[in-house]
Amino acid sequence: MDQDDIEMEIDGEDSLDIHVVTPGEVVTRDSAFMRGHGTYTEDETLVASLAGVVDRVNKLISIKPLRTRYNGEIGDVVVGRITEVAQKRWKVDMNARQDGVLLLSSVNLPGGVQRRKNESDELQMRTFFAEGDMLSAEVQAFFQDGAASLHTRSIKYGKLRNGSLVTVPSALIKRTKSHFVTLPCGVDVILGLNGYIWVAKHVPISPEQANQPDALYHNDNEPIADQEREIIARVSNTILALAKHNNFINDTMIVYAYEAGSSHRVKDILKPDISQEIVQTARAQFQEAQQH
Amino acid sequence: MISVSERDYITKGVDRSVRADGRARLDFRDLNLETGMITQASGSCRVTLEGGTDVLVGVKVEVGSIEPDAEAAADADDIDDDGGARTAGGGGPGTDDTTGSSGGGTHARNRGRISCTVACSPSATRVFDPRDVESMCNEYSQLLNRVLNSAHGGVDLAALCIVPGSTCWVLNVDALVLDYGGGLLDAIFAATRGALHNTRIPRATVEQTDGRVEFEIEDEETEIVAGWEDVPLTVSMSKIGYRHIVDPTPLEELCSSARLTVAVNRRGNLCALQKGGEGGIEPSLLAEMVQTAKQLGQTLLSRHDTLLAAEARRIAKGVDPTGFR
Repeated sequence: MDQDDIEMEIDGEDSLDIHVVTPGEVVTRDSAFMRGHGTYTEDETLVASLAGVVDRVNKLISIKPLRTRYNGEIGDVVVGRITEVAQKRWKVDMNARQDGVLLLSSVNLPGGVQRRKNESDELQMRTFFAEGDMLSAEVQAFFQDGAASLHTRSIKYGKLRNGSLVTVPSALIKRTKSHFVTLPCGVDVILGLNGYIWVAKHVPISPEQANQPDALYHNDNEPIADQEREIIARVSNTILALAKHNNFINDTMIVYAYEAGSSHRVKDILKPDISQEIVQTARAQFQEAQQH
Repeated sequence: MISVSERDYITKGVDRSVRADGRARLDFRDLNLETGMITQASGSCRVTLEGGTDVLVGVKVEVGSIEPDAEAAADADDIDDDGGARTAGGGGPGTDDTTGSSGGGTHARNRGRISCTVACSPSATRVFDPRDVESMCNEYSQLLNRVLNSAHGGVDLAALCIVPGSTCWVLNVDALVLDYGGGLLDAIFAATRGALHNTRIPRATVEQTDGRVEFEIEDEETEIVAGWEDVPLTVSMSKIGYRHIVDPTPLEELCSSARLTVAVNRRGNLCALQKGGEGGIEPSLLAEMVQTAKQLGQTLLSRHDTLLAAEARRIAKGVDPTGFR
C-alpha cells in the first residue's frame, strides 16, 4: 500500500476500513499522533511493532494484535478452567498471561448470598470447584501484578455442565450486551471474552432447584439425547469455522452461520471448502441485515 | 485437565457414537500433507490435522559404518522383542506373517539402518508437564525405531547397504512436533511415510580393485528409498468407557483409559502393536480393535497414497511447496 493511502485512511474521520499492519511497517509519518501499544517511533515516524489492526482513539494510535493472549477488562464475562486450589482462592486458566484468581469470598456458596464464609468452607473448597472444572465468571478487579480477580456472585455465573468447550482467538469475540445466549436451536452459548466458548444444552433453572444445597456445584450432567449432542457439535463446529476464517463471533453471526451450514453433515462443516462457503454466506447475510 | 462433567459428556457421547465434534467413533479428521519443504533434507513431510496437530519429519541420509557387532545387537533386539517388550515386531494375532523384503535370511551385516528421533517444540507442549513430554518423545522414538527397523518396516534395509560388512546408508528420521491437537502418533507415522516417499539417496558405485573395496558417492540425490510403499501407517485406538475411538482430540485423550496403536501396511499385514495408557483392554475387545484397525488402516493408506501421488505430481510440475507461509 502506498504511504499516502495509509495516512489518508487514518485521517479519514468516518473510515471504517480495517487497516492491517505487520511489524516494522510505517503506520504514519504525521508527528501529531501519539504512540500507543504495539507501536514505536523511529525518525519521527510511527512504526508498528506487532502484526495486527490499527486502532485509533482521537490522537492515540495503537495496534491490536490478531493473535494474543487475553487482556482482560473489568466487567468482562470469561470462561475459565480451575488449575489450582490454593489458600482461600482458586487459580483459573483464562488464556491470559497469568492465571486469574477466584477468591473464596467472591463466590456464592450454597445457603444464600448473605452467608458468611468460615474455616470449614475453606477446608471443603474442593467440593465447590476442583482442578479441571469449567466455570463462567466476571472480571472484578486487577491485582498489582496484573492478574485478574474474578467473581461468580450472580446466579448466571458458576460451574459449567452439559456441554463442551470451544477455543478461539480472544480478539474475535465481540463485546455485546449479553454474552449468555440461548440460540433458536435450543443450545446455550457462553461467549467468554477470553476466547473460551461454552456450548451446552439449554437447561432452564427453576427457583426451587436453584435453592437446593448442591444445585450450584454438583457435577452431574442432565440426560442429553443424541440429537441434542449433534446440535451442540454443530454449533461448536460452526464457531470453529467462523474462527478459522478470522470472522468475528457474536450471537447473530453464529445463527447465520448455523443456518448456512444446516444442509451439511456436522463433521463436514470444518472441511476447508465447506467452512469457507458457510462463512461467506453468513457474512453476506450479516451485511444485508446491517443495511436494512 | 478436564472436568468431571466434560468427561461424562465425552464418555456418553462416545458410547452413543456422537462425539463432541460431530464425528462417529471411527471417523478420522482431515489430514493435510506436504512434502519436500525442507531443502536441506534428503526428504521431508509435514502433516497437519484439522484439530491443530502439526508434525514435521525430515529425513537426512548419511554414510555410516556397519557396526562390527551389529549382528549381536540385532539378536539382542530380537530377544528383547520376544521377552514381552511393548512392541511386538509382527507377532500379534492375525498376522499373515513374513512377506518382509529385508528380513528373512539377510545378514545383519549387510543392512543399512534407520535411526529415528521424535522431539517436541516448546510451543506444542506448553500444555504438558515437561517430564511427560520427554517420556512421550522417548516412547514414540522407540516405537518408530522398532517398527522401521523390523522385518515389517517396509524400507528395504538390504538395499541401503553399500559395502557389506563395513559401510551402509543411515537414514536419520527426525520428527518434530510443532503443535499438538490429539492423534499425534498416527500423524508422526503418516509424516514419516511421506518423508520416506520424498527421500532421495545419492547413487553409490562400488569398485573392487586388488581386493580393496572403494565406493564413490554422487553429488545429486536421485535414488528413491526402496520399499517406502510398504512402510506401515498406524491406527491408534483410544478406549473410552467400554468403547474405542480413532483419532482422538486432546480432551478425548484425557478421557481415555488405554491406547492401542496398530501398525498396518498396504498388504494388510499387522506390523506392530503397542499398548499405552494406564487402563487395561479386555481380550475380546483387543481382538475387535485389531480387526477394526486393520480395516481402517487400508482406508488410511489409500488416502495417504492419493495425497502422496498428488504431491509427486506437484513436484514433477516444479511447483514450489507452500511450506510455512
